[in-house]
Amino acid sequence: MKSRKRFTVLAVCLVLLACLLAGCSGGSGGNTGGNADGASGGGSGASTSAPSSSGKQIKITFFNTSAEVNEVFEKLFAKYHEVNPNVTVELIPTPIGGAQIEIFQSRLASGNPPTISNLDPSHIYVYRDKFLDLEPVRAKYEELTLPGAVEGGILDGKFLGIPWTAQGYGLLYNKRALEEALGGPFDPSTIRTRDALKELLDKVQAAMGVPPVMIHGADWSLGAHYLGALGFSLQSRDANENLKYWEDVKAGRAKLADNAVFNGLLDTFDMLKEYNYRKNDPLVANYELDGQDFAKGNAAFYFMGDWLWAVIGSMEGRDSEFGVLPVPISNNPDDYGNGQVAFSHPKLFAVDNSGARPEEQQAALEFLEWMLTSEEGQKAIVEEMGLTMPYKNVKATSSNAIAKAIGEYVEKGETINIGVINYFPTDYWAKTGASMQKYLAGAIDRNQLFQEVQAYWESVQ
Amino acid sequence: MKRKTIWRNTGLFFLFAGPSLFAFTVVFLIPFLVGFYLTLTKWDVIRNDGSFVGFVNYAEVFRDKAFWTQLWFTIRYVFFTVIVSNLLAIAIALALTSGIKGERWLRAGYFTPNLIGGIVLGYLWQSLFSRVLPYLGEKYGWPLFQTSWLTNTDKAFWALVIATSWQFAGYLMIIYIAGFTGVPKDIVEAAKIDGAGNFAVLRKIVLRLAVPAIVVCVFLSLSRSFLTYDLNLSLTKGGPFHSTELATYYIVQMAFQSNQYGIGQAEAIVLFVVVAVIALTQSYLLKKLEVES
Repeated sequence: MKSRKRFTVLAVCLVLLACLLAGCSGGSGGNTGGNADGASGGGSGASTSAPSSSGKQIKITFFNTSAEVNEVFEKLFAKYHEVNPNVTVELIPTPIGGAQIEIFQSRLASGNPPTISNLDPSHIYVYRDKFLDLEPVRAKYEELTLPGAVEGGILDGKFLGIPWTAQGYGLLYNKRALEEALGGPFDPSTIRTRDALKELLDKVQAAMGVPPVMIHGADWSLGAHYLGALGFSLQSRDANENLKYWEDVKAGRAKLADNAVFNGLLDTFDMLKEYNYRKNDPLVANYELDGQDFAKGNAAFYFMGDWLWAVIGSMEGRDSEFGVLPVPISNNPDDYGNGQVAFSHPKLFAVDNSGARPEEQQAALEFLEWMLTSEEGQKAIVEEMGLTMPYKNVKATSSNAIAKAIGEYVEKGETINIGVINYFPTDYWAKTGASMQKYLAGAIDRNQLFQEVQAYWESVQ
Repeated sequence: MKRKTIWRNTGLFFLFAGPSLFAFTVVFLIPFLVGFYLTLTKWDVIRNDGSFVGFVNYAEVFRDKAFWTQLWFTIRYVFFTVIVSNLLAIAIALALTSGIKGERWLRAGYFTPNLIGGIVLGYLWQSLFSRVLPYLGEKYGWPLFQTSWLTNTDKAFWALVIATSWQFAGYLMIIYIAGFTGVPKDIVEAAKIDGAGNFAVLRKIVLRLAVPAIVVCVFLSLSRSFLTYDLNLSLTKGGPFHSTELATYYIVQMAFQSNQYGIGQAEAIVLFVVVAVIALTQSYLLKKLEVES
């Protein structure tokens, strides 16, 4: 009797252990299977491209770094599955502002890459060997998109990412607050020099009683948008010159401290600092709160971009009209940058070529084309996500008032091409942004700032 | 016969220790060894090139000044966290073993922060430090709270210490309560008859006999605070300007954002050695204080 009981206990424990082992080996077995599939698919993917309309079920995955619109994408995937029952698109979500690229890296390292990836161009550039060259569909997209958009997807000479959204940034202003402070209508074309901007800010500050400029103290805003992107992109109207200047800085041949553009940019920054609405505690960087104070007109100006609409678009009691000013870097109204706002294609759709089978790649391309050209797709992107599509004849209208203001500069061709940042290493905004935060908080002076930023760039291979 | 006993003993050993040994090997030992091997290669996701480079990554670690600054920052953080959280836990445990009303409810209440994940807890304290306290500071003119604590390096350091201690204290409290209730009543009574006051009883009897609990608590708080990551991420995000990055946070940034996997992993190994040395020395030293009743 006793031994039987002991036997039962032993048996139960062994079964549990076996389950553990089986569960684990089962998992790893599946993994290696996926690996082998992936490797063979990648190998043949380069040579042939099979059609997908074989009636077989195809599952493709979609890695999304535009995390704030995960749900809109999921609705689109469901709709596509209705139209096209053979294809299932599965979302790989990422957290907003969280560990996004880490998820991508682990998928890649485990031999299980997503079929489609919605990524920043700089990340696509880093992983350029893993993505499909989209040359076969380039002509089609050149036809579909606005001029300049396809260039935004060309990295290292290859068309690797399909542009689907465009965004711009500059010194935004709240039209109601500004015009109330001025006591009359405001014409943005009158601000083309630093002195003119200073005069305007003085007037507004006197009328409103508070410093009128919101500077968002986050490293991405200061390091990437202000110093990095504007500084290197305003060197010349020719993007190749900008890239060359950046190479010179990395090699130590050019010093940022001797550069007129960087110094002009920081002169303007010094001035904006004087009028900073968050002067008392400049590094709080609360994105919701800063957006709210600007949208309600407590601060009349905000150095930010049209993506802000995702936060303020649905806000109660906000103002309705917004405009955008260039950030003047000198007192010569004709200098490049004094009349232009930054404009770029911040996210691209890239298709995997390291693990995807040819029929999956084909299905991915067909799905992307549907999403970017169909009315459902365009409505979802423009109306629900609130983004601007750089496409011709878009069948939807956006409610994004900031994007509309930036669109006026785009129409006149008065934009700054910040494509040079696509080649920057992926940690540049955090590293140089930290130096800019110190500068904003007054912890270092301009010499130290230049030293830190120059040292960072020279450490980049 | 003897052979049979050995066989049965090993069988029994594997029966009970097997599952956890297996789990330990799979989720800890193997990743650790693979991780160590990675530090000797120049592997990264992009090139997937695992060629052997020897100790180059470690040489790089010793040249990375920022890592040592942040490691020193981490050690200071751990030092204060261990002290604050243990003192707090001892105080709460003493109060909750003195027989006050609603003891059980209070114990549950103090333990709750432990059930909240580090990320949520970090966001909670973040809004407290950057919104609530500045608001109150502005309203009542307390200069200490007029600006957010999270935008100043020194204050952000204390914000981290406070938030972590708040989380740990409840957990350590449970262990201390167990330690304190284990102190024999007769000894305490004898001391009181001999004329010892409350403080003397606490210092000479209760704390002395509760040394095992102190050893466990110091060890736990030490190793846990060395490996804090989630709270750091959600409370300060390493800011202002990377000055409050704890070692683990720095390592993750190094590996995943700067794409320096080998160096990041080598730094993780260095961190492991530092934590192991400090934790083992302190528990060895504290163990010597143990007395029999």
